[in-house]
Amino acid sequence: MKGVVTRFRIMAMLAGVMSLLLWFVELPVVYLIKDPELTDKVKWIPFVHGYIYAFYVLTAIHFTAKARFTVKQMILFILAGTLPIASFIAERRVARRYEF
Amino acid sequence: MKKKISKKFILTLPTFILALALAAIFIFLGFWQLDSAREVKSRQIPFQERPLTLLSKLAKPGANLSEDAINRLVTFSGRYGIQLIAPNQLNGKNEIGDWLVGLLEVENGGAILVVRSSSSADQPRGDITVEGRLFPRQFDDRSTKSEGQLSRLDPALVSALYPIELYDGFVVASQEIVDGQEITLPRVFLEPAKPTTPGNYWQHISYFIIWLLMAAVVLFLPFYQRSRKESP
Repeated sequence: MKGVVTRFRIMAMLAGVMSLLLWFVELPVVYLIKDPELTDKVKWIPFVHGYIYAFYVLTAIHFTAKARFTVKQMILFILAGTLPIASFIAERRVARRYEF
Repeated sequence: MKKKISKKFILTLPTFILALALAAIFIFLGFWQLDSAREVKSRQIPFQERPLTLLSKLAKPGANLSEDAINRLVTFSGRYGIQLIAPNQLNGKNEIGDWLVGLLEVENGGAILVVRSSSSADQPRGDITVEGRLFPRQFDDRSTKSEGQLSRLDPALVSALYPIELYDGFVVASQEIVDGQEITLPRVFLEPAKPTTPGNYWQHISYFIIWLLMAAVVLFLPFYQRSRKESP
């Protein structure tokens, strides 16, 4: 269980950082500032976020299934990776519950 | 016993139908992302010039410019109506200047913005045949709005001044012929427009993977729920 929790916590933090970058850097640059040079500099963000989120989903499913969470909790953990702060909250809750 | 099984079946069936429907939607969204990835890839192929075509074969007045029409070399005839100045325009050599833009009434109907010259001096307006490259309209203002000037090359800005339907986008003229004679003007050079499709190939592929993963999760959840109930 320790490995599963650690993997989930790492991916939750990475997904949280990437979500923050996506929502507060990439999206404003592309859709509000509309500067082609800046857009070019931030185009790696959605690409990296996409792959990190895919791995986050896998670790979230593994962790919630192992911890025997309900389906509702599993869905909430999966969706937490799409919002900037939600995955950090999920990580903190898991860290408090599973202190090894 | 028989009654119990059928009741369980009735309760489980809607869940599985819902799971299948959601999975189908997610798979559809996944393949939509895959199509976008393919589209992005096809645009990364180096620009290839295609033969000169009649404007009327590529575009229609009042309709959005298709992706296929952008950057094509076109020819059309008509008569210039109003002429305007488009200040602070950047050409393909990174030089900023004021361009002369004419609104040409096309013979077959409609009117189109034509960038005639990199000099803002007024030019002849009679019946004319134009050859040039078709570009998508500009979205950002290059100057403040004022009378006789175009803050950006966008037909929407002249639609109020002109009562006929306008073609989307604008043409940068490379040649203008009046009575079989070419008009000599300092022309504007612009590189072909870059693709406007947002995103990049691997980004769309990552979203394709995520949607397929979501479809798999949706199909897995009913089994997980069942196994959870069966082994407390």
